[in-house]
Amino acid sequence: MDYSFTSDQQLLKNSARAFLDEHCKPAAVRLLWDDPRGESDTMWKEMAQLGWLGLSLPEAYGGSALGMVESAILLEELGRAAYPGPYWPTVLAAAAVEAAGTDAQKKRWLSAIATGDARATLAFLDADMDWDPAVMTTRAEKTSNGWALSGTKRFVPWAHVANVLLIPARAPEGPTVFLVDPAASGLTMSPVQGMDLATRWVQINLDKVPVATDSLLGEPGQATPLLTSLLRRGAVGAAAEMLGAARRCLDMAVGYAKVREQFGQPIGSFQAIRHKCSEMLLEVENSHSAVYYAAWALDAKAEDEGLAASVAKAYVGDAGRKVCGEAIQVHGGIGFTWEYDLHIYFKRAKALEPMYGDVDYHREQIVRYVAR
Amino acid sequence: MDLNYAPEDREFRAKTRRWLEANTPRHELKTLDERKAWHRKLYEAGYVGMLWPREYGGWGATPMQQAIVQDEMARVSAPPTINGLGIGFIGPTIIVHGTEAQKKRYLKKMLTAEEIWCQLYSEPNAGSDLASLKTRAEDQGDHFLVNGQKIWTSSGPIADWGILLCRTDPKVAKHRGISCVLLNMRQPGVEVRPLKQITGSSLFSEVFMTNARAEKSDLIGGLNQGWEIAQTTLGYERGANSLGRVTRHAIAFNQLVKATRELKRGGRPLIEDPAIRAKLGRVYADLEVQRYAALRVLSALQKSDSPGAASSITKLSYTEFEKRYYETALEILGPYGQLMVAREEFEEVDTSSGEPGTFATAFLWSRAGTIYSGSSEIQKNIIGERVLGLPKEVRADRLKA
Repeated sequence: MDYSFTSDQQLLKNSARAFLDEHCKPAAVRLLWDDPRGESDTMWKEMAQLGWLGLSLPEAYGGSALGMVESAILLEELGRAAYPGPYWPTVLAAAAVEAAGTDAQKKRWLSAIATGDARATLAFLDADMDWDPAVMTTRAEKTSNGWALSGTKRFVPWAHVANVLLIPARAPEGPTVFLVDPAASGLTMSPVQGMDLATRWVQINLDKVPVATDSLLGEPGQATPLLTSLLRRGAVGAAAEMLGAARRCLDMAVGYAKVREQFGQPIGSFQAIRHKCSEMLLEVENSHSAVYYAAWALDAKAEDEGLAASVAKAYVGDAGRKVCGEAIQVHGGIGFTWEYDLHIYFKRAKALEPMYGDVDYHREQIVRYVAR
Repeated sequence: MDLNYAPEDREFRAKTRRWLEANTPRHELKTLDERKAWHRKLYEAGYVGMLWPREYGGWGATPMQQAIVQDEMARVSAPPTINGLGIGFIGPTIIVHGTEAQKKRYLKKMLTAEEIWCQLYSEPNAGSDLASLKTRAEDQGDHFLVNGQKIWTSSGPIADWGILLCRTDPKVAKHRGISCVLLNMRQPGVEVRPLKQITGSSLFSEVFMTNARAEKSDLIGGLNQGWEIAQTTLGYERGANSLGRVTRHAIAFNQLVKATRELKRGGRPLIEDPAIRAKLGRVYADLEVQRYAALRVLSALQKSDSPGAASSITKLSYTEFEKRYYETALEILGPYGQLMVAREEFEEVDTSSGEPGTFATAFLWSRAGTIYSGSSEIQKNIIGERVLGLPKEVRADRLKA
């Protein structure tokens, strides 16, 4: 039993922190708010060079074949920096291709993703906004030379910069995932902007979008286990990012409480503030335990991997919101200003809260696991 | 990171499980003699005093093994050991600060529960501010004359010995005039009056000392060093029972789920009600996170002896969780959550207090956890100051000192 990081894992964490402290400062995040793409290609290439894009891909495709624990370590740091870009959607989509793709599909996409030459994303949510793969309204109909997809995909992260879209749709055989060219005819995208200007979503409308037969990911109708597994990974990754944002907010609040003086003393000396900070630390540490337990469980294919993923997303969803919000409270008025950086991280945690299943969704999953 | 149990820990768990299946009493232990006999049996099997060094009668086991024993005992609802305070705190204090003569005289009988121990720390006017305690111990040459009152004393009526914090120098700053001495509870100058708690039972007492006698040879550490000794003592409490606690709550959760299948609202079982399911999902997530946190502490304990001030986070976390947990359970159970005597099988839970009972009993007990062994507020002060490095508060007593 060892809950601590190995020296390699610690090294990854330290180097990620150092890189992001230099290349993803709050000012850099702010610069991209008004950028139509919303991400930096230079940084994407640097991340590829650091091996982050191929972190969990097989070595044959230029990856490092590391696990979810390493991904979570990196995502925690990316969340701490409120990194703007399609890192997690791309990595998740690559994992899907790696798990279910043909050799040709892997050759086409995995090396390109590892080298930073391609971006990808996964369109989980349909028109009725249900995370359950069993409830899928986008349809795939057979045509003379392949398939035609029709429906609406909502809140697809970073689809506007993706080179390939992974689109789950209901074929006559059941849930199926298709690799779709963003430029395909009948496919239109419109941006959806939330409060976090560094998180970009896209609504995708599909009107009989033609997809070739060789663009199926796996067998028709067999995608449910894949989607379940991707949703789990997605949820744990999002929880890791929220943890990073929360830790940043805690650090900022504690730092501020040490120097801000009122009534002739630092506000951190008042129990009202100190106790709040202690509660925030408790939530951050429990979130750490939950995120890394879940990440390890996925890597170990532990019996409780699904439960652990839902526990992590449900717990950290609440904890992240609480910690980031209380950081604003500790700061007082300055924390509510646009100029002060706190809201960058507050909004990042908030933007991730509904993704890959919100708190309510995962609580329901937990009950399904344990109240049999 | 590797959260698999080590092969030797899995083997140890299996062995412990077999032993408990063969030896756990099938009936409730009613008398003190029965409880002592069970304790003795556990001791001889190597399941009591596990962390104590072998030279003092302990077993030199790892915190993980100790946690596994607690976990397995919780799993089968085995009766608890007695003398928990003695073995958890007082013995280790004597091991660290005591003389050879003290160790010879007291330790073995403590482990075997031949002598039961209590802790004489809190006073009516010295709770969180323990250092303001007033019980006086006057130097009479070869002994101290002790006068004062203690409160919240667990095992008071059955205790043979107590570890006492008392004032030996009233003229210096309050932290500097306190000594730690062992007190024979079986003497005319010591009177124990049970305190009835909100659960209706009496597991705590008040202890009145009127010209009681404590031997000088029973002084722990030097004169007026009691405060430092008490500080180190507090560190031993966390970790060992963490897994067992979670397992007890998980068993209670199964009872709760059983209740939601049997109880109905609007003609449907509660378990089909989305609002109830949301509550169940929330408390179970919370419960699992306490389990992960417990494993994390055990993992840290494998690498170093002391979790330090971070143990305050653990204590704060699980005691505050227990309040939320049983509050939610009672919300779900409706009027059944009020019952102190079970009418339905699903009501029966191990309250983790040593007191058998129901969800209502466990709910009441959950109010104690955030008060004893340093209240949540004290834990947050410790976390704020020693973990986060926030400035100390300006306190009236520090300004005076």
